[in-house]
Amino acid sequence: MRSPLCEDIGSMVRQDDRAVILEIDNVTKAFGAVQALQSISFNVYKGEIVALVGDNGAGKSTLIKIIAGVHTPTSGTLRVRGALCDFKTPADALQVGIETVYQDLALIDPLDVADNVYLGREVLKKSWLGRVFGVLDRTQMRRATGEALSQLHIKIPAPTMPVSRMSGGQRQAVAIGRAVTWGRQLILLDEPTAALGVEETEQVLLTIEKLRDEYGMTFIVISHNMQNVHRIADRIIVLRQGKHAATLDKYATTPEEIVAYITGAKAQTYESHKDG
Amino acid sequence: MADGSLTPARSVMKTPQAWINWLSKYGIFLLLVVLVVALSIITPLVRGEQYFLTPRNLTQVMLQGSINGIIALGMTFIITSGGIDLSVGSIVALAGVIAASVMALGSGPWIGLLAAVATGMLCGLFNGFLITRIKLQPFIATLGTMGIFRGLTLILSDGRPIYGFDSAFVDIFSQRVFGEIPLPVIVVALLAVICWLVLAKTRFGKYVIAIGSSEESVMRAGISIRRYKLGIYTFGGVLTGISAALLTARLSSADPTSGTMFELDAIAATVMGGTSLSGGEGTIAGTIVGALIISIIRNALNILNIPSFWQQFVIGAVIIVAVALDQVRRRYAQRVG
Repeated sequence: MRSPLCEDIGSMVRQDDRAVILEIDNVTKAFGAVQALQSISFNVYKGEIVALVGDNGAGKSTLIKIIAGVHTPTSGTLRVRGALCDFKTPADALQVGIETVYQDLALIDPLDVADNVYLGREVLKKSWLGRVFGVLDRTQMRRATGEALSQLHIKIPAPTMPVSRMSGGQRQAVAIGRAVTWGRQLILLDEPTAALGVEETEQVLLTIEKLRDEYGMTFIVISHNMQNVHRIADRIIVLRQGKHAATLDKYATTPEEIVAYITGAKAQTYESHKDG
Repeated sequence: MADGSLTPARSVMKTPQAWINWLSKYGIFLLLVVLVVALSIITPLVRGEQYFLTPRNLTQVMLQGSINGIIALGMTFIITSGGIDLSVGSIVALAGVIAASVMALGSGPWIGLLAAVATGMLCGLFNGFLITRIKLQPFIATLGTMGIFRGLTLILSDGRPIYGFDSAFVDIFSQRVFGEIPLPVIVVALLAVICWLVLAKTRFGKYVIAIGSSEESVMRAGISIRRYKLGIYTFGGVLTGISAALLTARLSSADPTSGTMFELDAIAATVMGGTSLSGGEGTIAGTIVGALIISIIRNALNILNIPSFWQQFVIGAVIIVAVALDQVRRRYAQRVG
């Protein structure tokens, strides 16, 4: 098989000074007899947005879940910042600094913004009572949430508002806010705009772009919307029937060409890819 | 607008929503006031004398409500987390029989209390084990342990009530403090404050709500659901054990058939108070008022000479009305929100 570096040659010129965040090497996943992923290999570099596209059942969600620690690969390896990672649970991936915004957002409706952002990472009161009984320091968490989100250009209503009372766009903003607050290395976005209107979609895309440009944050985005993919992604990875069908450079492709790769109307050989 | 006259469509959309929200929050307190006022008026008319609104009777109402109130506090945590515990009545019987047996063998009252609490704790732990490790539905797991704990109680006691333990146990819990307030009422008030603090202010309480709202989301946040569920059912068991001690003291004996249908009262108090059977929402104050209302209903049916067979009928109806109202509220919230 090819060396993992080959597939990223197209982007190397722009990215050779950037650190590699994620290295996926020969990852395979089988559910019983069903081969969901077959020898997937690619790298993700710091400060880029990689789009993961493909038809339903192409293996996008499986791949995202492997990176998020929900599934374990049948074979192959995952490296984060060069370190070999063997995620057994979502908690493992979170600890390394990989955050995921799931399609359903995984928010807790009756809790407020700060409680959601700090879910699983609660700040406790410093007193002995706080430590023994796990008393939450909500004042501290709300303040920090408000500061962090406004610094990240993420607009949400008061951090004390239950997320059940928010609009779809606001809820998406909270979920992304939570992910970027803790995602030191990589943020995975599963269909971040699928449930949103035109204006809210625009807000979310702008936020993601700002986070990449100003803070050098790194994203892998799953999306079915080719216009959005082409707009925000630096590189596009096409999966087809569980295989890595193509890696496309944003500046060398068009939404139409991406669709052609997804449907299989066009196929990339490793040689032609190297040239691109 | 609220007097039933025809109103424009726009305000019809808004008014029921506002009403239902208000009712779901404060309706239970309103119901309490209405019940007390109504019974204060009806009782003298029916019985020719005020039997209801007397310090002695109201103290009795609170005392009788305290047993159910403590169990319902634990039930509030369990239902808020999206679960249910049908075994509480059997736990009451088992913890009572074990505490009484231990004391009948010569242990002091504090060891008796400890035995009741420890039994409740172990029962809750066992429920939690079935739910988290064997992965049974809480309904099935606790339906099974309802039988197991009851059977164990009958086996241990040979089906006979246990008497003849240290009367100090009875004396301690029948004390009156601050004048005329029975100690169990103070105990339930104290436990209610603790439960409120735990639910509203601690990480444990937050996770109880979060697990009830969306287990999947909690799991993805890297939190051990198994550990917290085990804690929730154990916590419920401890409270039920305390309740069993109070009941044993009040009856001066432990009857292996006691506690039958206690789950009905505890679930009724909890859902009437505003804790949602769908999980994710719980209110300690509502549960306490719910327990008080159930105690008042039982008391009133007695005072008004209505056959006691009607009591379970009414409590059962209360559960159905409370849950139906909660679902109406949710449907409105979805439509508007």
